[in-house]
Amino acid sequence: MTSATASLRHTLPHPLSLLALGTACLLALPLVYVCYLALTADPAIWFRLWTTRLPELLSNTAWLAASVAAGTFLLGVSLAWVVVRYDFPGRRMWEWALVLPLAMPTYVLAYVYSHVLGLGGPAEQILQTLAGPGARVMSPHSYAGATLVMILDTFPFVYLLTRAALLNFNVSFDEVARSCGASRLRRLLGVILPLLRPAIVAGLSLVILYVVSDFGAVSLLRYQTLTYAVYQQLTGRYDTGAASVLSILLVLFALLFLAAERWFRERSRFYQTSGRYRSLERRPCGTLGTTLITLYLSLVLGAAFLMPAWLLVRWSSSALLQGAVDARFFGFVWNSVLLSGLAATAAVLIGLPLAYLACRRPSRLHLLCLHTAYAGYVLPGPVAALALLVLFSQLAPWWYGTALVLVLAYVVHFLPAGLQSLEPALQQVNPNLEEAARSLGESPLRVLRRITLPLIKNGFLAAWVLMFLQSMKELPATLLLRPVGFDTLAVRVWLEASEEYYQLAAPSALLIVLLTLPALWLLVAKDWRAA
Amino acid sequence: MNQFHFHSRSAWRGLPLLLAVLAVVATATAAEPDRLVVYSGRAERLIKPVLDTFQANTGVQVDLLSSGTTELVNRLQTEGERTQADVFLTNDAGSLERARELRLLQPLTLPDVERAIPATYRAADNSWIGLSGRLWVVVYNKNLAKPSDVTSLLDLADPKWKDKIAIPNAGSEYLQAGVSVLKAAYGDDRVRQFLQGLKANASTQVYGKSSQIVEAVAKGQAVLGIVNHYYIYRHLATQPDAPIAPLVTDQQAGGMGAILNVAGIGVTAHARHLEPAKRLVAFLASEAGQKQFADLNKEYPLRSDVAADPALPERKKLRTAAVPLAKLSELREPAMTLIEQAGLR
Repeated sequence: MTSATASLRHTLPHPLSLLALGTACLLALPLVYVCYLALTADPAIWFRLWTTRLPELLSNTAWLAASVAAGTFLLGVSLAWVVVRYDFPGRRMWEWALVLPLAMPTYVLAYVYSHVLGLGGPAEQILQTLAGPGARVMSPHSYAGATLVMILDTFPFVYLLTRAALLNFNVSFDEVARSCGASRLRRLLGVILPLLRPAIVAGLSLVILYVVSDFGAVSLLRYQTLTYAVYQQLTGRYDTGAASVLSILLVLFALLFLAAERWFRERSRFYQTSGRYRSLERRPCGTLGTTLITLYLSLVLGAAFLMPAWLLVRWSSSALLQGAVDARFFGFVWNSVLLSGLAATAAVLIGLPLAYLACRRPSRLHLLCLHTAYAGYVLPGPVAALALLVLFSQLAPWWYGTALVLVLAYVVHFLPAGLQSLEPALQQVNPNLEEAARSLGESPLRVLRRITLPLIKNGFLAAWVLMFLQSMKELPATLLLRPVGFDTLAVRVWLEASEEYYQLAAPSALLIVLLTLPALWLLVAKDWRAA
Repeated sequence: MNQFHFHSRSAWRGLPLLLAVLAVVATATAAEPDRLVVYSGRAERLIKPVLDTFQANTGVQVDLLSSGTTELVNRLQTEGERTQADVFLTNDAGSLERARELRLLQPLTLPDVERAIPATYRAADNSWIGLSGRLWVVVYNKNLAKPSDVTSLLDLADPKWKDKIAIPNAGSEYLQAGVSVLKAAYGDDRVRQFLQGLKANASTQVYGKSSQIVEAVAKGQAVLGIVNHYYIYRHLATQPDAPIAPLVTDQQAGGMGAILNVAGIGVTAHARHLEPAKRLVAFLASEAGQKQFADLNKEYPLRSDVAADPALPERKKLRTAAVPLAKLSELREPAMTLIEQAGLR
C-alpha cells in the first residue's frame, strides 16, 4: 500500500463504510419507526389499552414464557444428561434425533396438536376407551395447550447447549465434592448445575425470545399474547395506534430480557482449570436402565416429532388422493422459493459488508453498524410488518403492496441469524492472507474476490441457507404484507389449518418440514462434537 | 467455484438489478386487459367457486387476495390510487359503507342490477351492492339445550350459561356489526351489561372463525354459539348427524328482530379493469350468480326472484332489526369501543 493511498484512506470515509452506514440506517428504521409511532400515539389509546387488554396480555405472555422455560429446562437438561452420562444401545442416534423437533415450525406443531387433543380427536378416543365415555383430555386451545406445544418445539435449544457444556465438563470438580462426602443430590445441585448454568441460561433465553415473539402457535391455539394481540389490533382496527403501542411494549420486553440475560451471563463466568482435565465418564446401563431411558426418549421424540410427522405424511397422502396437490400448490411452492431466495440473497449481500468491516476495521462506527443490523432480533414478525407497512405507505407508497416490502421484512427479521454465521466465518480468515495478496499488487476488489470470498464460502452458504429457510417458514409478516397472488406455503398452512382443514394444510406443512431438515443439519453439524 | 465468482463479481451491482427485477415481477402483469384483481374478506372456499365460474364464463382471469375485511379496508386506503384491486368483496355492509365514505369505491350505474337488488341492500349511490343476506343467529346443541331456552340474544348473558357459550373474537366484523345493531336498539348500558355477561359465559371459547364456533357446539364443547346462519348449514352438509340447529332470536312481539347483514361488492375508485369489474358485479347480481352464491353458501339471495334454500327459515316470516345497513359504518367505532371496554378479546 503506498503512502498516498493510505493517507487518502484516512481522510476520506471508505465507500464501503458509507454503504454499511446506509444499510445500517435502513435496517434500524423499522425499529425506530415503531418507537416513534407508539410514542406519538394518542395517550387515550395507552389509557384504553391499559384499562382493558394490557394486564391480561402481559401476564399471559409472562406466564407462557415462564412455564415454557421451566418445561424446556426439565426436558432439555434431563435429556442432555441421559445422552452424555449413560451408555445404552442407540445412544448416538438419539443424540442426533433429539434435535429434530426444531424442524417443525410452531404453527405446524400447533395445528397437529389442535387435532390430536381436540374434541373427538385421537387422544380423547384413546382416553375414552381406557377410562370410559365422558373422559376428556385437556383442551389444546388453552394456556396448557400452548405451553405443551411450545415446550415440545423449543426444548432442543436447551438440550443442545447443555449437552455441549456437559461434554466440556471437567469431572475433577465433581470428584472433589465427592471426596468431601457430598451426596449425589448435593453434588448435582451444588456443583454440576451451577457449572452448567451459563449454557442453560443461554438456552432458556433463546427459548423465551422464541416464545415471546411466536405468532403461529398462539394464533392457532388462540392464546392471547402480546405478539398475537399486535396482529389482531393490526387486522381488526382502522388505525395502527393500538398495534404500535403493543409493539413497543413487546420490543421493550425483548430488550429488557436480553439485557437481563447478558447481565446474568457476565456475573456467572466459570473457568476450566487447566491441566487436570478429564471429561465425565459414561455409565453403562443394564437392561432395566436401557428400557427406561429408551422409553423416556421415545416418548419425548414421539410427541415432539415422530407422531406429528407421521400424521402429516398420512394427511398429505389423502390430500394427494383428493387432488389437492395441483398446479396451484406448485404455485405456492414457487412463491415461497422465489421470495425466500430473494430475501436470503439480499440479506447475504447486505450482511457481508457489515460483517466484513466490523471484523477487519473494527472502528466504533463499523461495530455500531453491525449491532444495528441485529435490531431485527427484537422485532417479532407482526411488529416488523407493522413498521414496514406504515413506513412504505408514507415514504415510498409506490412500493407498497409489492413483493419488495415482504422481502425487506424478511431481511430485517432474519439478518441477525445470517450474521451469526457470517461473522465467525470472516473471523477465521487470517488477515495476513489478504495482506499478502495486497502486497503482491492485487487490487482490494480482486483480493476480496480471490482470497476472502472463497475462504468464507461455507459460512456464506450457511448464512444463505439459514435465512432462506427462516423466510420460508415466516408467517405473520407474510400474512400481512403478501401481494396479490403471493401466498406462500406457510400462509397456506395457516389459512387451511385455521379453518380446520387438516388434510389440505398437510402437504405444505410437510414440505416445509422436509426442506428445513438439511438446514437443521447444517446448523447443528457446525458445532457438533461427537460425544 | 465458478458460480461463486459470478456472485462476487456482480454482488454490488447486482443489488439494484435484483430490486428492479422484483419491481417488474410485482407490477408487470398489471396492464393486461383481461385480468381482475379481487380483494376478498370472505372465507376463500366460500367465494372461489363463484369466481371460478365467472372466469370460465368470461375468460377474465381473476386474481384473488383473501384476507381480513378490516385489514383489506386499511390496505385499500393505504394503497390509494396505486391499488391493484379492481373489486372489493366482503361480508359486512358496515365495512363496505366505511370504504365508500373513505372514497375507496366508485358509484356505479347498472340499471339491471338496480332493478334486481332492492335499494335497502345497496349504498345510496350504488358504490356497493349487497349480494346475499346472512342472519346472525344462535346455534344450539340439540342434546344440551331446547329452542325455548333463548328468545333474545341478550339471554346469552344469563349466568346460567357460564362456560357454555362460544363467541367470535373482538376482531370479527360480524360481532362488531351485531353489537352496532344492539347498541342502536338498546343503548350503551344494556349492551355493556350484555357484553360483560357474554365474556364471562364464553370464558376461553372465543374463536377466530365461525366454522370453529359451530364445530364447538356440535361437539358439545359449548352449548350455544353466535354465528351467521349459513355456517350451521355448511356444517350439516358435511355432517348431517351433528346435533345442531339454528335459533333465530328476538322474534317475540316488541322484540328487536333478528340481525341481518349482507355480503356485498364494490368496484374500487381506482380500478384499472373497470369493464370486467362491472361484469363481475352484474354476474353476481344476475339470476345465475345469485343462485350459485345462495346455493353454495346457504345464504339468502337478495334478488326476490331467486329462491333461498328450502332448508332455511323462511325469509318473509322473519322480522329483522330496523337499523339501516349504511348506518353500520358510523356505529362501528363506538361498537368497537364497547367491545374493548368489556374486555372481549
